[in-house]
Amino acid sequence: MKNNNFRKTVWAGLLVFSFYFSPAMSQAQGVLGGHVTGNMQLDMQMSREDSTIGAPDVPEQMLMNARADILYTNGAFDAGLRFEAYTNPLLGFDKNYRGQGIANYFVSYHNDRISFTAGYFYEQFGNGMILRTYEDRNIGYDNALFGFNVHYQLMPGIMLKGVIGKQRYCWTLGNGIVRGVDAEVQLNSLIPAWADKELRVTLGGGVVSRYEPDTTIFSSPGYKLNLPLNVGAFSTRMDLAYRNWNLNVEYARKGQDPSFLNNYIYRYGQALTVNASYATRGFSVNLQAKRVDNMVFKSERAATDANGAKLYINYIPAINKEHTYAFLSMYPYSTQAQGEMGLQGDIIWRLPKDGFLGGTDIHLNSSVITALDMKVVGGMGTEGYTSDFFGTGDLYYGDASLEVTRKINSQLKLTALYGYQVVNPEIDGHSGALHHNNVVVGDLLWKINKKNALRFEAEWMGSDSRYTQEVDDKRCGDWIMGLVEYNFTSRWFVSVSDQYAYHDGTGNYYNISLGYTHNATRIQLGYGKQREGMICIGGVCRQMPALNGLTLTLSTSF
Amino acid sequence: MKKLIATLLLSMATCLCVAQNAKLPANVELKALDGSMVSSSTLQNGDKPFIISFWATWCHPCNRELNTIKDVYEEWQEETGVKVIAISIDDARSANRVKPHVDGHDWPYEVYIDENQAFKRAMNVINVPHTFIVNAQGEIVWQHTGYAPGDEEEVIEKVREIMGK
Repeated sequence: MKNNNFRKTVWAGLLVFSFYFSPAMSQAQGVLGGHVTGNMQLDMQMSREDSTIGAPDVPEQMLMNARADILYTNGAFDAGLRFEAYTNPLLGFDKNYRGQGIANYFVSYHNDRISFTAGYFYEQFGNGMILRTYEDRNIGYDNALFGFNVHYQLMPGIMLKGVIGKQRYCWTLGNGIVRGVDAEVQLNSLIPAWADKELRVTLGGGVVSRYEPDTTIFSSPGYKLNLPLNVGAFSTRMDLAYRNWNLNVEYARKGQDPSFLNNYIYRYGQALTVNASYATRGFSVNLQAKRVDNMVFKSERAATDANGAKLYINYIPAINKEHTYAFLSMYPYSTQAQGEMGLQGDIIWRLPKDGFLGGTDIHLNSSVITALDMKVVGGMGTEGYTSDFFGTGDLYYGDASLEVTRKINSQLKLTALYGYQVVNPEIDGHSGALHHNNVVVGDLLWKINKKNALRFEAEWMGSDSRYTQEVDDKRCGDWIMGLVEYNFTSRWFVSVSDQYAYHDGTGNYYNISLGYTHNATRIQLGYGKQREGMICIGGVCRQMPALNGLTLTLSTSF
Repeated sequence: MKKLIATLLLSMATCLCVAQNAKLPANVELKALDGSMVSSSTLQNGDKPFIISFWATWCHPCNRELNTIKDVYEEWQEETGVKVIAISIDDARSANRVKPHVDGHDWPYEVYIDENQAFKRAMNVINVPHTFIVNAQGEIVWQHTGYAPGDEEEVIEKVREIMGK
């Protein structure tokens, strides 16, 4: 009897506990003096086989990615929990996500000087050249560290960070243990006499090391490679700001790290980025240069990128501008952390109000990325290659674009863009010679009244890819596109678009979407065809297959 | 046992009554445009509410929203004293282009970079643009995802509502 009562009490307790923590109740909840917030997203896809565009057969008929984050905050204490379900994963997402469960949880504490997180966490040292863990749900990338993370403000102006843990890959953890420390010094906060100086100086440096038990790799029959169990990397950085000028420099170096992706060579890795800018009200110039040499740094030496990026400890993003208009992003450049050199320039200019075409925004951008100048000196188990620091190799990618935005009157706003690209098809696994694309975009926004607006977008791309590239790349050819989007009552939108490869006529990709947004909740239904291609966000790309069917997205934040 | 359940039910009811607005996360580090780090606890606007807008250099609707607000910003400030804090989620790829982007477009906002998206996660932002209104007590009182032309009217309406205007 006593036992029975005890059980009842436990159940009642659990009931109340779950009720207290139930996120379904409302917006942020006052819970035991703290708050619960969160977000949820469901993505559903129904696609049928379509050989004309290469859409695969989907035996499940319906695919779904779902995710909910719940955060609890109480004063200095935070905790979080994330549930993910891929039943089964959407087309293009790593199949190893198949399944459902608690994908991320943590507790953390902070006061003015120190904070720590235990569990899954995301951290970045400097520009991320030796360490960055992050997640991007749109491409299904999450390399969170599972372990311990500490931030300690030693004194005003000096911040120390430390990490230790293993990295997440889908539902498992990588083999390697990742450890790292980073220090950042802000001279203007540290030295009282510098507090009001116009020159702002921030210096930083970090060290990251990976331990992975030995594995057996033969360079040739009978010759087992002597693999380093610990691989270290360090970086130093400097950030200067003076009036309108900014300079950011970071240099990183990595020890011998024979891995699957560098074909088990013993060459050191290094990377340098330099970023300089001048910015004043209405005008700015930005220049970036980078050189990356053998900087793939993963927590498992045998990890491939066959199903998409996996277990990267560091982050080496592409240097070119991230274009978002459909045709300019049809051939996105994916960064070659193995080795590349790049330059990028950007000018933004708002013409003075009273002059010619006053108030017009002009945006010029150009980038060039090439291979390193490499001299092969051996294969597996050797230095691999040597390379002249300032030498360049084959062209990987080049582009230039001019974007002009002008408010015609209080109701009409026009954006016109011209872009030119040179693309090396080998970058995303295709073959053929360099091809050249010309892209023109017109984007007109008509604000009918306070709550209704129409947007028209027209794009054209002329490309010589159909002469230079393999034929099975569905992107080859010349394209036109039209889009009409109608936003009404400020909550609804409907859009209709069509992309058409008018030279070979095989690609006709129409889409209709309908969406409703109220506060932080959004529901969107789409029907149509999606072109196969690459989606790149930052330094990570994912090959997306074509699809023909229905997509439904529901998301909310609270 | 019955007593126990009654007590628990009562406490549940109390729990519902204390439902309240979440505070702005206090301990997230953000990067100011001069390269220095500031804590999210320093985001405030005296005794007036403020708007937090998550954006990115590459995001068209975000740029549309912030360019539109720019045209009416002076009026908004004169009328309500509201302030816009723009949080860029540009990562290492484009974080160095944030300051040139802001100055080049002549944006009058207070801008910070959330380079590894810690603040974005703490605020439960799924996609940009995402806009919040925070009251003078530092409580999140309203949020909205996406931007359609005209949405800025709803934002300033909410600000007026909060200020009792």
